[in-house]
Amino acid sequence: MIGLIARRLLQLPLILLVIYTLTIVLAWAIPGSPLDKPEGRQPPEEVREAMKRQYNLDSLPRFYGSYLASATGVRWAGDELSGRASRERDVARAAGRAAPTRHIFDLGPSLQYEDWRVNEIVAANLPVSITLGLGAVALATILGVGAGVIGAARPGSIADHATLALALIGISVPSFVVGSVLVLTFAVWLEWFPLGGWGSARQMVLPMVTLALPFAAYIARLTRMGMVEHLQADFIRTARAKGASKASVLLKHALKNAFLPVLSFLGPASAAAMTGSFVIERVFFVPGIGQHFVNAVLNKDLFLIMGVVLIYATMLVLLNLAVDVLYRWVDPRIEA
Amino acid sequence: MLRMLAPLVALMVIGALVLATDRPRPRADFTFANHGEVNTLDPQKMSWMYDLRMGRMLYEGLVRQDFLGAEPGIRPGVAERWTISDDGRTYTFYFRADAKWSDGEPVRASDFVFSWRRAMLPDTACDYTAMFQLIEGGKEFFEWRTAALEAFKLGDDAEALWARTRAKFDEIVRLKAIDDRTLSFTLRRPVPYFLDMCGFPVFFPVCPDLLARYEAPESATGRITPRSGWTKPGVLVGNGPFVLTAWRFKRDMDFARSPTYWDRARLNFDTVRCVCIEDVSAQVLAARSGTIDWLSDAAASFRSDMLADRRAYEREHQPEIDAMRAEGLDQTTIERRLPDDPRNRIHAFPSFGTYFYSFNCKPTLMDGRNNPFADKRVRRAFALAMDKERIAVQVRRVGEPAAATLVPRGSIPGYASPRGLGRDAAEAKRLLAEAGYAGGKGLPTIQILFTRDAGHEFIAQSAKKDWEEILGASVELSQREVKSFKNDLRKGNFMVARSSWFGDYLDPSTFLDINRTGDGNNDRKYSSPEYDGLLARAEETTDRATRMDLLAAAERLLVEEDLPILPIFQYVDVSMYDPRRLTGLTSHPRQDQVIDMMDILGDGKGAETPRERPAAAAKNTVGATP
Repeated sequence: MIGLIARRLLQLPLILLVIYTLTIVLAWAIPGSPLDKPEGRQPPEEVREAMKRQYNLDSLPRFYGSYLASATGVRWAGDELSGRASRERDVARAAGRAAPTRHIFDLGPSLQYEDWRVNEIVAANLPVSITLGLGAVALATILGVGAGVIGAARPGSIADHATLALALIGISVPSFVVGSVLVLTFAVWLEWFPLGGWGSARQMVLPMVTLALPFAAYIARLTRMGMVEHLQADFIRTARAKGASKASVLLKHALKNAFLPVLSFLGPASAAAMTGSFVIERVFFVPGIGQHFVNAVLNKDLFLIMGVVLIYATMLVLLNLAVDVLYRWVDPRIEA
Repeated sequence: MLRMLAPLVALMVIGALVLATDRPRPRADFTFANHGEVNTLDPQKMSWMYDLRMGRMLYEGLVRQDFLGAEPGIRPGVAERWTISDDGRTYTFYFRADAKWSDGEPVRASDFVFSWRRAMLPDTACDYTAMFQLIEGGKEFFEWRTAALEAFKLGDDAEALWARTRAKFDEIVRLKAIDDRTLSFTLRRPVPYFLDMCGFPVFFPVCPDLLARYEAPESATGRITPRSGWTKPGVLVGNGPFVLTAWRFKRDMDFARSPTYWDRARLNFDTVRCVCIEDVSAQVLAARSGTIDWLSDAAASFRSDMLADRRAYEREHQPEIDAMRAEGLDQTTIERRLPDDPRNRIHAFPSFGTYFYSFNCKPTLMDGRNNPFADKRVRRAFALAMDKERIAVQVRRVGEPAAATLVPRGSIPGYASPRGLGRDAAEAKRLLAEAGYAGGKGLPTIQILFTRDAGHEFIAQSAKKDWEEILGASVELSQREVKSFKNDLRKGNFMVARSSWFGDYLDPSTFLDINRTGDGNNDRKYSSPEYDGLLARAEETTDRATRMDLLAAAERLLVEEDLPILPIFQYVDVSMYDPRRLTGLTSHPRQDQVIDMMDILGDGKGAETPRERPAAAAKNTVGATP
């Protein structure tokens, strides 16, 4: 187990470097300048040139190197060790200035939202996405496993067909449709829930349900498939022969085994739910991180693109690792 | 089994923890929605309308623009009075004694010198830096500093350069703090609209003590590098009616009545919240459900249907409306007396902006081909062939007037707009034949470039139909992402491109300047000595009437003769609010809604008197459109 964790953690930087390089090359190729504003007045040409130099936007290799150094903490470590950081702090203090904030992993300034650093943006939006995503995945697990068990208890019954049909709808209907229907029904018409926003538990219900539905549907199918398969296995017959109750056979014996594929799905599902909620964030105006994957690219906000991609990649790798560890813990038969 | 539930339990615990730490806040006295998150709260860096609106809440300029009366006016702000010399070049402002920063310090004349110097530095990247160069020495200072920064080498003393820069500024720029409460500056030429600009947020002051803690010359480049962080709640020091109490990125901003603002007794709100809703349909739902009190402009695709509903509502109450009009009641009173209805919460206001097409005026296109639009006869032919009425009435459907001019008609007092070109298919064909493209023969495929948006596409389709049917041209629609569009525009890689322009101050030059030779916003690369000459003469003229005539002559050249631009329609904003609850909005075409002038009626706070909207302006509301 320790070996597995160590091995994966060692792979992490390599994976991130590959993702970083690919993303930066692609993002650099987006036409237009990050400093262009979509409408209105433009600053003079001299100013644009100077800004380009300031942000290293005039040379890809330079931008690649400098961003990598600050995002990975190399610049921070260098500044701290060489004493540059403390010198700057002293100078600032002597001049009566606020000491510059130093992030260990500095993801740079946002070119679009000039008053914010990418670190601050991530700090503001990531917890929202994590809450929304994890809440949705938890909801999806409860709904999905429940529906799967109901279906598998009596394959071919009306309940089974109904849950399968619901699952099909859940997977196939896009979330902007589900979201809009839920808003119109429960927020505009019945007024049970607020339209959107983020903060109170009531505001979280609709976006979480919308986000959870496709995952719930998939989990329901996974659970049902696994249950049906295991219910025909020899150990179930043995359990039944021993006189175990129906509930105990279903939940204790069959579900325990059928849950493993669900568990392995939860890792990527959590990552996808936490970052892939762009549509839901728009419909319910939830301030999550998913929007930046689209908007930052449209704005060619290079620092923000790189920042969110790096964060997402790290989360994905760590979540997969967490699932692998859990998997082994739940079912010790699995070997590395 | 327990082990299996563990991850689920862990998820729930994390969720509960986040929930517990993230509590909703009580409703503010006034809640409105901006279009997404602001770009910056740094007044010198603002240029987006929604940023400027925040600028008016947090800071205050020397004077205040007032658009609530029948005629736009200038009211005292930080300055309680001012004088302008007879030659119109030297301005002296006398500060009120009780103008204070939100930290309690008095607002000094030197604070304005600091802020305006900041806008004149190339380091700041102020979009409006050219406006500040109207002050004598401003342009020379900008150029001096740019050259000095170019010459700066690693190892040079950045602090020394900064000291020299400040000395240079004091030496050549004629902007001075005579004492703590007297500011004086001299313009390079008389600028009749400069007083109006002093009420524009880019000219509002920042607190030097605060900025000094965040801006310093960088040792490697010598530049003043702005650091973010000072515009955050608890840090930001402003001199405006409100202070920023909370700002959650992409969620909301909270404001409270400033305890130090000199005119705080006048304010109608103790707290204001601006929520960030980016989705245009969600904005409308939020306004409809009362989640927000005011939506400044509904951009949802179904807004034309909203206005159609509004018109239907007015038709239902036509006799009452006519009777009240006959009584001489103003628009606000009429709306307040009509029975409550969701449709009565939809309002259309004229806007200070024009939608137009830009023609590329360069002799050759990017790929080296001859550019047919270099010939003004071709441009005129294309303009004469376009059916703008159809675009306004059938495509836009929000009651926007078709435009023949760049400056919105009737928006500037004392300015008589030229007539512009009408529609004349025969003349269009004749001009095209005269230019050597009879029946469209010899014309390359015409590309209309626009950004990815269904609205622009329908307009382009309408233009395509006219140009193909009347002129025999073959027209291709070409859609781009914003960045890519801007890039093509900048490089001149287009034939016809969709454009728009919104004015900043109450003078025709705010629109006309973008067609000057060498202007940074002249994407068309239009260059006419006659046009430049007229604008230059208008600049030298102090007599207002003569000046307006010269500007009108310049615009006539633009929209009747040379047509580097093809005006299509004047924008209208669809605003949503309940007229029985909210008051203090202006329907003046130079529209700039100011939050601190608004009032929620019936909340027991503020003046509680509905403000009239003058009858003249009421003409422009939906009520009067057929």
